[in-house]
Amino acid sequence: MSLGAVAVGKAVNMREIYRYMGYQGNVPDADVRALTDEVLGELLQAIEPKSIYKRFECAAEDGIVRLYDMEGKSLSITASSRNLADNLADCRQAVVMAATLGIGADKLLGRYELVNMAKASIAQACGAECIEAYCNLIQEEIKSNWADKEGLYLRPRFSAGYGDLALETQKDIFSALECTKRIGLTLTQSLLMYPTKSVTAFIGLTADAGGCYSKSGGKCAACGNKGCEFRND
Amino acid sequence: MINGLGEKLLFFDGGMGTLLQARGLQVGEIPETWNILHPEKIKQIHKEYLLAGCDIVKANTFGVNSFKCKGTDYSVDMLVSAGIRLVKEAISEVRAEEKITERNAATEENAMAIENAADGTGKVRQRYTALDIGSLGKLLKPLGEIEFSAAYEAFKEIVISGDKAGADLILLETLSDSYEIKAAVLAAKENSSLPVIVTMIFDENGKLLTGGDVASVTAMLEGLGVDAIGFNCGLGPEQMKRLLPELTACCSLPIVINPNAGLPAVVNGNTIYNVAPPEFAQSVKTLVEMGASVVGGCCGTTPAHIKALTEACKNMTIKPITDKNMTVVSSYNHAVYFSEKPLIIGERINPTGKSKFKQALRDHDMEHIYKEGLLQEEKGAHILDVNVGLPEIDEPKLMEEAVTGIQAIIDLPLQIDTSDTEAMERGLRCYNGKPMLNSVNGKRESMESVFPIAKKYGAVVVCLCLDEGGIPETADGRIAIAKKIVKTAAKYGIPKKNLVMDALVLTISTGQDNAKVTLETLRRLRYELGIHTVLGVSNISFGLPERSRINTAFFTMAMNNGLSAGIVNPSSEPMMAAYYSFNALAGLDEQCMEYIAKCSQQPEKPKGANGALANADAKSAMSLEDAIVKGLTESAYQATTALLEQNIDSLTIINDKLIPALDIVGKGFEEKRMFLPQLLMSADAAKASFEAIKSTLSKQGRQSESKAKIVIATVKGDIHDIGKNIVKTLLENYGFDMLDLGKDVAPETILAAVKENNVKLAGLSALMTTTVVNMEETIKLLHEKAPECKIMVGGAVLTQEYADMIGADFYSKDAMGSVRYANELYEAGEI
Repeated sequence: MSLGAVAVGKAVNMREIYRYMGYQGNVPDADVRALTDEVLGELLQAIEPKSIYKRFECAAEDGIVRLYDMEGKSLSITASSRNLADNLADCRQAVVMAATLGIGADKLLGRYELVNMAKASIAQACGAECIEAYCNLIQEEIKSNWADKEGLYLRPRFSAGYGDLALETQKDIFSALECTKRIGLTLTQSLLMYPTKSVTAFIGLTADAGGCYSKSGGKCAACGNKGCEFRND
Repeated sequence: MINGLGEKLLFFDGGMGTLLQARGLQVGEIPETWNILHPEKIKQIHKEYLLAGCDIVKANTFGVNSFKCKGTDYSVDMLVSAGIRLVKEAISEVRAEEKITERNAATEENAMAIENAADGTGKVRQRYTALDIGSLGKLLKPLGEIEFSAAYEAFKEIVISGDKAGADLILLETLSDSYEIKAAVLAAKENSSLPVIVTMIFDENGKLLTGGDVASVTAMLEGLGVDAIGFNCGLGPEQMKRLLPELTACCSLPIVINPNAGLPAVVNGNTIYNVAPPEFAQSVKTLVEMGASVVGGCCGTTPAHIKALTEACKNMTIKPITDKNMTVVSSYNHAVYFSEKPLIIGERINPTGKSKFKQALRDHDMEHIYKEGLLQEEKGAHILDVNVGLPEIDEPKLMEEAVTGIQAIIDLPLQIDTSDTEAMERGLRCYNGKPMLNSVNGKRESMESVFPIAKKYGAVVVCLCLDEGGIPETADGRIAIAKKIVKTAAKYGIPKKNLVMDALVLTISTGQDNAKVTLETLRRLRYELGIHTVLGVSNISFGLPERSRINTAFFTMAMNNGLSAGIVNPSSEPMMAAYYSFNALAGLDEQCMEYIAKCSQQPEKPKGANGALANADAKSAMSLEDAIVKGLTESAYQATTALLEQNIDSLTIINDKLIPALDIVGKGFEEKRMFLPQLLMSADAAKASFEAIKSTLSKQGRQSESKAKIVIATVKGDIHDIGKNIVKTLLENYGFDMLDLGKDVAPETILAAVKENNVKLAGLSALMTTTVVNMEETIKLLHEKAPECKIMVGGAVLTQEYADMIGADFYSKDAMGSVRYANELYEAGEI
């Protein structure tokens, strides 16, 4: 198992996996729990988590977010989005991150879909939680490496596709972070990512502790889909 | 050609990106547009590298491809030809300056490298222009977005432009997916005659981003006939030192190393490379001592790094390059070597003598083929034979589909097994690795048609020791044919290491010396000719009772007489027992570890879909309904078999037992008493029950009947298909014949499938708001051109209102909803 997978394995929250499996607040019976453990174990063997992140100067005003290179001050990423601008309000800096579990997760899913649909659905849920847990680890790393030292707090992660932040933003993120070369992420014509268990996100850095990242999540707050079965407020 | 490649140390130039940024390139700007917008700046960088002492200059063409040029003012050809021209100008300008300083510009000779190379006498330093090609930034199907052929076409366009513009060589670099690499190499070799160098980006564990290791891609690339192989980017020289021994151990070609100036470090949010020129030069010098024969730099390296490097390595000679002489095949992620220890080649993907497999091929039931593959992998096969030949099917097409599908989910190298040369070529072409090919024989016609294909794709070829005169009865006769084959292969440029001889097995029921002749042939092939061997072992017992007794004894004897690989059924316990025992006895199993491990594996008890062991007593007593409700696949299979043995009609089983059980679970799911995994465990159990029914019916020469055909697809642009697959599984359970078009499916494709099959119900899935647009488009098209077809939709972002808005006939909030709707339509006679 890769080192990244070991760390992710320690960080996953089983209750979140059950929630993704559609159990809402319930805990599955012993058989399903055993099967979930088995699938999670196989998934952790198959993944090679990789990530990259970079820090930018941030200006968010009038619904437009502009991120500038820390040194050259050149414009790297532009996004026209009220929701992102709100999320990054008062942030003079922001981190842009990209993370993936690698192609191994997709391969395993493909295998399960052939021989065992129940395992496939569970692997889907485990994969969703693994990439979330991995992103949380990265966020923790950013927090302890820079943010804490500089007295900055982290806003919740915000990704293209949330609220009014268009997927188009992915193009800028991919070129600013060199996602393909560095961690093997690719972008389809419809701006979705392969490998599929991948995340890109903005994380605002601010001196104001209000509305900021805590381990318990809260990322659903930004989403307008109030009726969502998976909503986690 | 590149003079001196593999004979003396040559130098590449260094990085381009960081230098361009320093000169004002904005993030998001395509660097290659500077070939046209700021040609002087690009040329200046090339000149600085030339003055630093490099031999090969990479044109500024790394990121050019049709995907990136789309929507810009530039074509691939414009950017590539300008890029090549700038290097050539830089070379001639530097040369001209050198001439002035050398004061020996006596003749009007053209200073360009290639002319000098032609006369072979020029003492002038030769310099080369590399067409630099990087990744397309797309993942290939079936795991990704674009077809292998589309990747090939994209690379082809770049190669043609670069060749036309006068490049001296093609550098494929910073690649990290063996499949994309194969497409690029084929494009380079089929559309130019330039030398091809491939350098890849490995991580610190020696893995490509798509999982390949050093040995597996090296095997593939040597097979494809590239000129040099190596590493670039990703790592600094220090990290590459740890990785290089892996490459020198298996590579018989010159090695190219272009490291970054260290690992990227994030300082204050910026990525920097902080190995300084002198340090860089010393580290790379060590890499040359270890066996690199072309060195330069990648990200973060500058003319100063290259200058330090060329000076530090000035008078160095390179390590001689030796042929490693190994017989090796590879999958996308690992290499398999032929050695003292025999290999198992799984024979089960083959219709010969298997009525169920034949039916699966006729029905285009790919799942059946893939499951055979998965099972053999689990049972310990090292290589899988793939034979999908039946007279009534389009074998080339099916071979391509089978190879593509198998390699997407199975990690083993494949042996393409066919006598149809078109199927051979298509199978080898789409194969992600160094394949095995079964087979050629000593007939002139066979060798003439097979060897060129085998050579092109670098296959290890199984050679049958027979020819126009048939199968010789003596070992002498077979050895003579083997020698002839080796000699002929050499004429096609195929070395002995890429041949594996089949000594041929004839049943002992028709000739009592048959085994003896085969064994003698094996021995002599292996120890006199020094060539690896293979046998289709079980032919030995044809026509005899209790065949496995003879087969296992013969298998052991064959291994003891030099058999390198047995083509056998890995699911046969006696055969695998013979295999592991032989290895232990022959000293090929360290401390008998493998043998002990195999023995300690308990014979598998029946497992439920939930992974829990079913109690043996409870199992035999369990009813089909209970087995399905509890999601126990094995029990469901056995309960169904028991019912069939009692002569209960299959329709009665389905309607009175299977469907009511599924309904119980479905209802539980809808009432939120049961959850998705349980629903799917039951679905898997029901599937097992259908398998039992199908296999009984096929024994009776009958086929199962289905209610109606339904087309199902994830719409264009969307790549999420688990939801669609769940719906498909459940509808299949309820007896519908599902035509699954996959994911990212264009509206026209869906329409065509609906029309062609006269389908009255289509299911569409979309997960993203951005792709619901394509769902709407598909609905419009279907309603217009196939008004008799109803459309049901589902997916995370959809709601009833949304579905109404885009004109769907039915919105299903979960998988059971689609079952209910399809059943209603069926009962109303509408589908």
